[in-house]
Amino acid sequence: MVKNNKYFIRVIAMFFYIIVISILLFLVSSLYTYLNTGADRSKMLHLEVKKIDQYLPKIAWAENGNEGRFVDDETLKNIENDYLDAWYVNHVSNKTNTTAGIEDYYTKNARKKIYDFIDENKKNNISIASTTINHNPDILFFSEDGQLIVLEDKEVIEYSSIYENDKFLYDYTSKASYKMMLLLEDGFWRIRHKIKENEEDLIKNYTNVSIDTFEIRGINYYPQKTPWDTFGDNFDKDVLDKDFKLLNNANINTIRIFIPYVDFGKANVDQEKINKLKTLLDIAETNNLKAVVTLFDFYGNYNVLDWTLNHRHAEAIVTNLKDHNAILAWDIKNEPDLDFNSRGKQNVIAWLEHMSLIIKSIDKKHPITIGWSNIESASILKDAIDFISFHYYEDVDLFEEKFNQLKKEIPNKKLVLGEYGLSSYSGFWRPFASSEEKQEAYHKKMQKVLTEKNISFMSWTLYDFDKVPKEVVGSLPWRTNPQKRFGFIDTKGNLKPSFKYISKQ
Amino acid sequence: MVLKRLNSILVFCFVVNMLTAQKTNDIKLLTQKKEFISGSAIQLSFKNTSEEQIKLIVKNSYGTRILNASQKENTINFIIPEYISKVRGNLFWKIISKSNQLSGSIKVLPREKPKTIETYLGPPSIIAGGKDFTMLVTIPTDKFDNPLKEKTPVNIKTQFLENESISEEKTNNIIVYKNIFSPLKSGRMIISSESHQLNSTEIDAAIMPDNAINYDIFYSQNHNYADGNQITSFYTSTIRDAHQNIISDGTYVYFIVQNKNNKILKTSGTTINGVATAKIIHPDKEDNWQISSYIQGIAESNKTLNLTFNKAVLDYNYELLDHNRTITVGPIKSFQNQMIPDGLEVSLTLLNEGKEIYKTLKTSRKGFVSFKIDKNIYPDGIYDIRIKSAGITKELQKIKLW
Repeated sequence: MVKNNKYFIRVIAMFFYIIVISILLFLVSSLYTYLNTGADRSKMLHLEVKKIDQYLPKIAWAENGNEGRFVDDETLKNIENDYLDAWYVNHVSNKTNTTAGIEDYYTKNARKKIYDFIDENKKNNISIASTTINHNPDILFFSEDGQLIVLEDKEVIEYSSIYENDKFLYDYTSKASYKMMLLLEDGFWRIRHKIKENEEDLIKNYTNVSIDTFEIRGINYYPQKTPWDTFGDNFDKDVLDKDFKLLNNANINTIRIFIPYVDFGKANVDQEKINKLKTLLDIAETNNLKAVVTLFDFYGNYNVLDWTLNHRHAEAIVTNLKDHNAILAWDIKNEPDLDFNSRGKQNVIAWLEHMSLIIKSIDKKHPITIGWSNIESASILKDAIDFISFHYYEDVDLFEEKFNQLKKEIPNKKLVLGEYGLSSYSGFWRPFASSEEKQEAYHKKMQKVLTEKNISFMSWTLYDFDKVPKEVVGSLPWRTNPQKRFGFIDTKGNLKPSFKYISKQ
Repeated sequence: MVLKRLNSILVFCFVVNMLTAQKTNDIKLLTQKKEFISGSAIQLSFKNTSEEQIKLIVKNSYGTRILNASQKENTINFIIPEYISKVRGNLFWKIISKSNQLSGSIKVLPREKPKTIETYLGPPSIIAGGKDFTMLVTIPTDKFDNPLKEKTPVNIKTQFLENESISEEKTNNIIVYKNIFSPLKSGRMIISSESHQLNSTEIDAAIMPDNAINYDIFYSQNHNYADGNQITSFYTSTIRDAHQNIISDGTYVYFIVQNKNNKILKTSGTTINGVATAKIIHPDKEDNWQISSYIQGIAESNKTLNLTFNKAVLDYNYELLDHNRTITVGPIKSFQNQMIPDGLEVSLTLLNEGKEIYKTLKTSRKGFVSFKIDKNIYPDGIYDIRIKSAGITKELQKIKLW
């Protein structure tokens, strides 16, 4: 007994010893690691300066030769870099009325002329948010010693939004041509002379593409396991194929999908994501589904200096997919009207309008639309887009009346109900709010109106979800929980009663 | 019925007309002038019959400004500030008004006469011969730093030795440029430009000599004995380019020596006034050298020099001392029986049954060299010893060391 006890105490003591030593070791090693991090010698001198994308207007150099010395590709790249940076720092100074960076891209004499404006605008509390959409530079002359160029930049489209005392005053888009002389000074191409040759208001021509004859019987689609993350790591072809077959059998002919801006790589669109999107569209095509592709999901900046980056994002996606048979239309942005308050209505609208011009300049075949969050916003930019789409989550009984009113307002464009639906959630956070039966009744009613008036529709959504990312409706449980129950199929995969009314009978 | 419809259409048209007419007639530009000279007072006047407070956006090459109006009855005036009116180029204006989209442009022209002439010349040095050129870029600017208008005459003046020339050019795309080709002679060319009697400062371009053409080489030496001590100098003729210009100082000239055994020796020098000099030490045994020269990738010597070195040391003695373990070589005497200068190489090889077991090298001092063979390393026995110096080998067979 005593022996046993002794063994027991010995074992305990050993364990105790090991634990204490491990803890000590852990602490000492943590301290050691801590003291050894943060002072990376290779980073002391900032030797590696990474180029970040901050300003990427569309730039097309004229390849028609020039007087003087031949311009090689490397030189042209340097000129392009510094030339665009010169524009960028000028935009920044217009906006902030500061001189940061001007010194690097304008020579001593030229920068004085910019400072004159900065001083005056600062005094009068004027600030100008501006950007250029495109540049068409043409080198006219390159000196033999490689230190001086003269270039011409024709038909530069410039957007300016003017604020007085921090309040929006006016915005306009113009088209201008410039002639400039640049000098190579301490490794920077600096603007020495900048002469605007002409400038006029940009006349925006909207050429509309009609899809009036196509009857959309659609649904907003996310896979059940990966809502709001269709193209993430768990992208699964088989799931898509199964879902699309189900939709096709349920008399659905269109899906609305969402392209997250950051996830797709912002201005430098990730080719892998494009490939996933292509795969999804291929599967849709084999299942006789068309797709409305909604761009710029989870994007909400609209900052004028961010535009050119957004343009490159849209350009990459649209250019890659414009010939895909499954594409029905481009939805520029989901519910941009919700950002009016925080980002400025005028700013958001101008962003949408320029984006529509960019997309239309690339893809002349497919129509574009904007997924307005409510029927009241639906007439904004009605001339710029090809069909009107709006979301309706309000009283089902008022729908018909409101729709008729909108039809009266916009008689010559197709109206599409881009999102509608009802959550079947009832539980702790919202007891007795709804039920699967109420949802069924809702869809029955809606489908009746839609069928009668022959309205194109896309419902929200196929599945109930287990999780909703907090970027969608925040993280408050009384908001996220109802959001999980909008589906026609519950989380276990059973058809809810509303499934009968997923499409026309 | 038809009439009624027609009537209603007419009424509709009238209303639309009224509306649009009002829209465009509200505000009207009164200023007719479209072109202004830089720095002159610019005022834009509009007729304004509406009650609206009108502001004006003005935008030139360098920035945008918002102007407030001064109103006199139905006329509103906007005075363009000087810092805007002085900048050459298009001045875009736009009315800020809820009902009106009026916009337009006026042109600010540069002044007629320049205040400064900016000149850039590059590259700053070029090669004589008429193929190479330097480029002069001139930008005449007015007193507000605006480049002058297109087709402004600019004279470009060059001076080189007795030649002075003026060429008349006109500005195109802001600038005037001219390629100035090099003359045949090297020297310094003075270049300047002039526009409307305003002269730039002078800039000079260095005209460097062209590439060298082939040249001759020579040598000089005190004697031709192979004493391993004297120095022979090689030098070139005055190296010139094809236009008789002496090539630039500091041009690197190589001299290559090929000896009797086909080994290559190399020396080099740089030119001063076209002549490069290089030195090389004499061999320490008789030899025959073939010497050629080149400037890398550019020119070479016309002929190869042939140089013979005679024996300086005809023979030498040696002595074995201290149980044959100390070998003293010497006196080594030179061509006039004088002691050879210090530093002549003497080598000693110890062989055992034909196998080399020890080899050492020493240099002479006051005509003698002494070797010691250590007893602790090389035990007593019979060895062969070989001594070599100044191309003379002495074989000592079967020497007993003890």
